[in-house]
Amino acid sequence: MIGKPVLLAELHGLFQWLHEKLQATGLSQTWVDIITYATLGVIIFGVLSLIALYLIWWERKISAHVQQRFGPMRHGWHGWYQTVMDALKLLQKEDIRIVTRDKVVFFWAPVICFVAAFLAYVVMPFGDRLIVADLNIGILYIMAVTTFTIISLLMAGWGSNNKYALLGGMRSAAQVVSYEVPMVASILTIIIFVGSLSMMDIVKAQSGLIFNWYVFRIPFGPIAFLTYIVAATAECNRTPFDIPEAEQELVSGYNVEYSGMKFAMFFLAEFVNMFTVSAIAVTLFFGGWNGWDFIPSWIWFLGKTLIIVLLLMLFRWTYPRLRVDQLMEFAWKFLVPVTFANLIVAGIFKYFGWYW
Amino acid sequence: MNPLKGIRELVRGLQITGKHLGRHAITIQYPEQRWTMPERSRGIVVLLSDKETGELNCTACMLCEKACPTAAIRIDAPRDEKKKRHLKQFIVDHGLCCFCGLCEEACNFSAIKMATKYEFSSESKEDLVWDIKKLQELGRDVPYVDTRKKKKEAAKAAAAKAAPPKPEKAEQEKPNFPPKPESPSQAAEDNGRTTGAEKEQQSLQLGDERRQDDKEGQS
Repeated sequence: MIGKPVLLAELHGLFQWLHEKLQATGLSQTWVDIITYATLGVIIFGVLSLIALYLIWWERKISAHVQQRFGPMRHGWHGWYQTVMDALKLLQKEDIRIVTRDKVVFFWAPVICFVAAFLAYVVMPFGDRLIVADLNIGILYIMAVTTFTIISLLMAGWGSNNKYALLGGMRSAAQVVSYEVPMVASILTIIIFVGSLSMMDIVKAQSGLIFNWYVFRIPFGPIAFLTYIVAATAECNRTPFDIPEAEQELVSGYNVEYSGMKFAMFFLAEFVNMFTVSAIAVTLFFGGWNGWDFIPSWIWFLGKTLIIVLLLMLFRWTYPRLRVDQLMEFAWKFLVPVTFANLIVAGIFKYFGWYW
Repeated sequence: MNPLKGIRELVRGLQITGKHLGRHAITIQYPEQRWTMPERSRGIVVLLSDKETGELNCTACMLCEKACPTAAIRIDAPRDEKKKRHLKQFIVDHGLCCFCGLCEEACNFSAIKMATKYEFSSESKEDLVWDIKKLQELGRDVPYVDTRKKKKEAAKAAAAKAAPPKPEKAEQEKPNFPPKPESPSQAAEDNGRTTGAEKEQQSLQLGDERRQDDKEGQS
């Protein structure tokens, strides 16, 4: 690894170096592992928080430029540390707790939301050999863990003792559960071809150049990608599927009663979730960290993910919000049949070996 | 339900937002960048001075004070023995002013005008009450059309009983939209003279003339 000529530092080498150094100190294997994984966890947590902060800034800039405004311009070059200042402000704010809240539920909702948003990154392949734990049920684990977000939203709605919040939470639960079905079905289309649930295997199955990526497996690849991205948009409660926080109807949805850092946790978790679904889309359809060798793999991964994030942001500032019944109709009457038909087509292709 | 048509429309929506994303923002970053206000915009009220003598054009006729709907203008002009008013103090309370421009319309001597300046916030109400000196000072560099001079010239012309210069002038001032064959030197002069602001002034002048004519006709 170290002998290989690369333009930029490979992160994997850094971790290996850390591991070797720790082992050299003569600690027992258990302690070395604990320290290594704790460091990894802190690094990933820090990096993702930073990414979430910058996604907020980016979203504000993109929404502004779509409407031919500037967006934040005052803090640094084009307001680059605006969201950092926002986060600092939210940290200092008073934590308002209404008297009629359900104390335990109200307290734990943002915590669960925040933790659940970060859990998926245990199996996220950031780059070549750059993964915390390559579970053999990788994608299944992600699907299971990201669903925790619904529970937290429902808890926030219930604990707030506020009809707007409760309605937001209920809507969110209904929506996310509905869209889970087409999402999993479109992921299954890819799983059929990989034959493994491990994220590393999924990436390796697409190694090589562009035409090995699953999004280009015509006809089912592009369709699976489209259905996945629609379901993913609904999954992270973004426009046009943002009825859980529809401003006109529900003030702000499940997080009306939250303030200060608890609100910030919901807000950051939302953007981390957006990054998660984009990262999954990249892993499944765009070849993960595969690309030309002269650019480090983790940069490929980040770049592709940010492009998908940009797409999600453009969705938000292009499309109007759907009504609740239209939303459900779209999920059950259109997306579910399409994804299952797609799944069958993919199965036929796999059985006869018609793909390239 | 036609899903293909729907998808096409969705893509078209993305195209439009993508197109706008590439364009430059039209926002003006206010404290750093400012608009040049149009010549006839209504900002602060100023008193105008004669360009040659530097004295105020105001004759203390009190018309603007009467025209002001919010009583923002207060004029102190005592009469002398010949019952002629002499301007002593002229106060405009910009806290009361509603920037309607009626004082400017009422004035027959091009003595009061609404300038283009619009930033005059202050920390107290009293600072918004401006007296004659400050108003004159603010009005020093404000470009304006002196209607009094035109009156004088017109009176002179009438006294000399020469051929009335007005029609000639009107012909000259007509915009050369169907470009007449002129001597090149004259055209160059014209081009040099008529900047945008001056053109507007000319049009203003014409308007004032018309108004005066109307008034004369009425009287």
